[in-house]
Amino acid sequence: VSRRLLLPGLLLLAAAGGFATARGWRGPVEDRFGHDRHARLFPTCTTCHAGMAEAGAPAWPEPASCEACHDGRVEKRVDWAPRPGPRPSNLRFDHVAHARTAVTARPADSVEAGSCGACHTEPGASRMAVRPAVAARCLDCHRVAEAHLAQADSSCATCHVPLSGAAALAPAAVAAFPRPPSHDEPGFALRGHGARAPALMASGATGVVASCATCHARDFCITCHVNAPEVAAIQALAPDARSLVHEARLPVPPGHARASFLRDHGREAGPAAASCAACHTSTSCTACHAAGRPAVIAALAVAGPGRGPGAHIARTRPASHTPLFVEGHGPEASARPASCSACHARTECLDCHRPGPGAAGDYHPAGFLVRHPSSAYGRDANCSDCHNPAQFCQACHQQAGLAGSARRLGGVGFHDGARGFAVGHGQAARQTLESCASCHAERDCTACHSAVGGGFRFSPHGPGFNPDRLRRKNVSVCVACHGTGIPGLVP
Amino acid sequence: VRAAALALAALVVAPAAAAQSFRARIDARAQAVSFRAGTIDSVPAADVVPGPTGGPVSPAGFAVQCPGGPWCYFVRPGPERRGVPVSTSGSVVFWGLGVPGLSVHAAGRVVADAGDADVWPGSRPAVQLLEGYLELARARFTARAGRVLVASRLEPVGFDGGWGRLRWPAPDLEFTAYGGWGLGQAAAVPVTSPVLNPLDEWRPRDRQLVAGAEAAWAPGPADVRLEYRREVDPGTDYFVSERAALSFTGRPWRALRAAGGADYNLAEGHLGSADLAVSWLAGRWSVTAGGRRYRPFFSLWTLWGAFSPVPYHAVHGSAQATVTDWLALRARGERYWYDDAEASTPLVDVVDRGWRVSAGVTLTPGRGVTVDGSWLAEVGPGAASQHVEAQVALEPVAGLSVAAYGGWLERPLELRYYDAEAAWIGGRAEWRAPAGWRLWADAAWFDERRDRPDAGAVSLDQVRLRSGLSVAFGSAADRRRLPPARRGRP
Repeated sequence: VSRRLLLPGLLLLAAAGGFATARGWRGPVEDRFGHDRHARLFPTCTTCHAGMAEAGAPAWPEPASCEACHDGRVEKRVDWAPRPGPRPSNLRFDHVAHARTAVTARPADSVEAGSCGACHTEPGASRMAVRPAVAARCLDCHRVAEAHLAQADSSCATCHVPLSGAAALAPAAVAAFPRPPSHDEPGFALRGHGARAPALMASGATGVVASCATCHARDFCITCHVNAPEVAAIQALAPDARSLVHEARLPVPPGHARASFLRDHGREAGPAAASCAACHTSTSCTACHAAGRPAVIAALAVAGPGRGPGAHIARTRPASHTPLFVEGHGPEASARPASCSACHARTECLDCHRPGPGAAGDYHPAGFLVRHPSSAYGRDANCSDCHNPAQFCQACHQQAGLAGSARRLGGVGFHDGARGFAVGHGQAARQTLESCASCHAERDCTACHSAVGGGFRFSPHGPGFNPDRLRRKNVSVCVACHGTGIPGLVP
Repeated sequence: VRAAALALAALVVAPAAAAQSFRARIDARAQAVSFRAGTIDSVPAADVVPGPTGGPVSPAGFAVQCPGGPWCYFVRPGPERRGVPVSTSGSVVFWGLGVPGLSVHAAGRVVADAGDADVWPGSRPAVQLLEGYLELARARFTARAGRVLVASRLEPVGFDGGWGRLRWPAPDLEFTAYGGWGLGQAAAVPVTSPVLNPLDEWRPRDRQLVAGAEAAWAPGPADVRLEYRREVDPGTDYFVSERAALSFTGRPWRALRAAGGADYNLAEGHLGSADLAVSWLAGRWSVTAGGRRYRPFFSLWTLWGAFSPVPYHAVHGSAQATVTDWLALRARGERYWYDDAEASTPLVDVVDRGWRVSAGVTLTPGRGVTVDGSWLAEVGPGAASQHVEAQVALEPVAGLSVAAYGGWLERPLELRYYDAEAAWIGGRAEWRAPAGWRLWADAAWFDERRDRPDAGAVSLDQVRLRSGLSVAFGSAADRRRLPPARRGRP
């Protein structure tokens, strides 16, 4: 073995050892007595285990009978005492009754059926190569075709009592229960087990199949099921804290990983609310649905006694919410407002889009008051999405002494940076008309750009002006400057 | 109107009294500012003398403009004005009213200016109802009645009326319709309110009627919406506006995302604004490229639309990257140009194109420590600006954050002697209590200088104090804190 492989190999061995220990595998059952070595001394099993064939007789030999040989001279002494009661088990079994029943039911095989080796040895093994009951041989006699851990529904109850009925089993013994292969089937944890668990009882009520109840109790189900009180199969199980030694490994449903899940889950939750309710409380929804509360959420349970705590959802920031998103969220917000309202309270929108006088929201950076003229000229954002041009812009500019006046256009010293601005402002006005309107009333402009009321008849109309359409839609716009002498106007 | 308001209040209050669950939030904010604005003054034309730059100035050195009459006019620094705007906003949602899907929503605000002068915009009326409606939400439809604010590509619109949406899940269709008496643009009061008319401009006598409809198709990761909206003056039946818009978002492939749309002004017969942005949103970085067109919109009860504002077109790009766990970078740039205004004169030469760029960096050197810096420059018609700012934020204990910030900017103007330079420094503290309380305070000092070559130059140095309190509370499970930010079973 190469040295390069030595260390990884050791690590692998250590990992495998750790894994095996963690899984509870403890190797072959040890025959501490050594039945094989005593085979010639005891021609029958009942020599020592008389109680297995005769009701009321002891199940184990007296220690004194062992000391007949193990006296320290013939054989070494042994320190052994029979267990005070039956071995803790979840078997529905009595040796005497079982043997009697077996002989009665299968008289042709009465010798085999009544022998201890029929259950406690592998097929073909010697009589004293005993071990705990070989499940395959039980199934063979009971005409059960499937393997031991592949039984469906009530077959388990043939030999086993429900976990809650095996009160003597220690939690460690429960933890060592073998894992049925069905539990590793794809989809078992999510939907498979739920489809198999319910059983129709003789009374007509819904119960739970014995294959579940043999190893599990209600406490185990509650670790996942928020809707445990509403699931009849779970309620059919008795509560038993020992069932918590089994770890519930619930994967995230594959559908949750879809790119469109965040968007589609609301629609899917409607018809599939029952499946949502298995894992989600209404609280887990409100982690994101801070605003509004769809009916399907209101219908979900709140975590409490008898229910699982539910999946906790992280309020994660969508990928689209980059640091620059605030400047460009408009198109998405207008196209898909429901997506926004899932996480954002309405007041968060109103803080910016309907700002109060003391709000001073975080949208604009500090010092924006000084910078706002350049930002407004370029319309990086649409000011009127949030600010009423009259209530906000004109009112403030008026307070600041910046509001215009028609007859003093160019006379208030405001447009003093450009000489002749009064007669050359057309291009600037058409490029940034909203900025003009933030200080000027319309009459400031119609003083010159009007055909009535003393105006100078300077036409303000430029590229793209469509007089016919405007006249059809609202002729008062035309009348304001042209009077009623408009071609085609019916007085 | 009063009867309608009372009926609405009764509709809101009556079911709310029987509600089993509610969620409410109250925000109280105040700030104190003072500024010294300009005020118009005049001098006899005969007193005007040539100034140092050759233009006419007053004997006191103020640049004046003389329209040809006996007086010349100028702007001088006015008296100091103090404003203390305060507002308290409240929003509440009631549900569990006995009817599945029925809820009551309301959001309003009480505002005032507690200063010695009523200087702050938006301080009237004192009570403003932003939203207040009954909602009935079922799997196939949602209906609202009351004061509704609708967000859409055609700008948010508020009205007193009804709103309804039908859904057909199988073909992924939605149809929305709404209508009512409209509110002013970006306001909680109708356009007939005096508070929307500070310049004593002409206003319509009646509130406009708003009606709109929207059809949406949302197959898988895409969403396409077509909207139509009209506003009509009920007194004359003339259109106040009539527009249509198309918008879409979609994720056509992997991390590729596209969003865009356009609106068309049916009343005036021209294309309005439009935009398209395509992004690649990877885990730790993203890039966006796009273009847009912007054309201002004016209602037809104003004359502004007849002045033929011209649109501008822009291309832009941006990128952001989380380089390491402690370093994130971002940058954005845009170039834009106007259509020909067909109004240029040799007397005034106005540029018809501009650009803006910005960049930023965020450092997270330790847990609860954030350092952020940014730079922005923009040059365009009428104005330009350049500014840098930085902030250091700490979270010494859970729920408490403190930050210090500062910045500097310069802002030259093209058409005015009003260039400005400003520097500021400030601090902010915020405390988020577990019970849903949030208390914050902010203080900043602004050092501002106006660069004018005459006596009209003023200094707008100021100290600005702001504070706020937010309280969120509710019934049942909502009273508890939101679950911790984690995924998976506990």
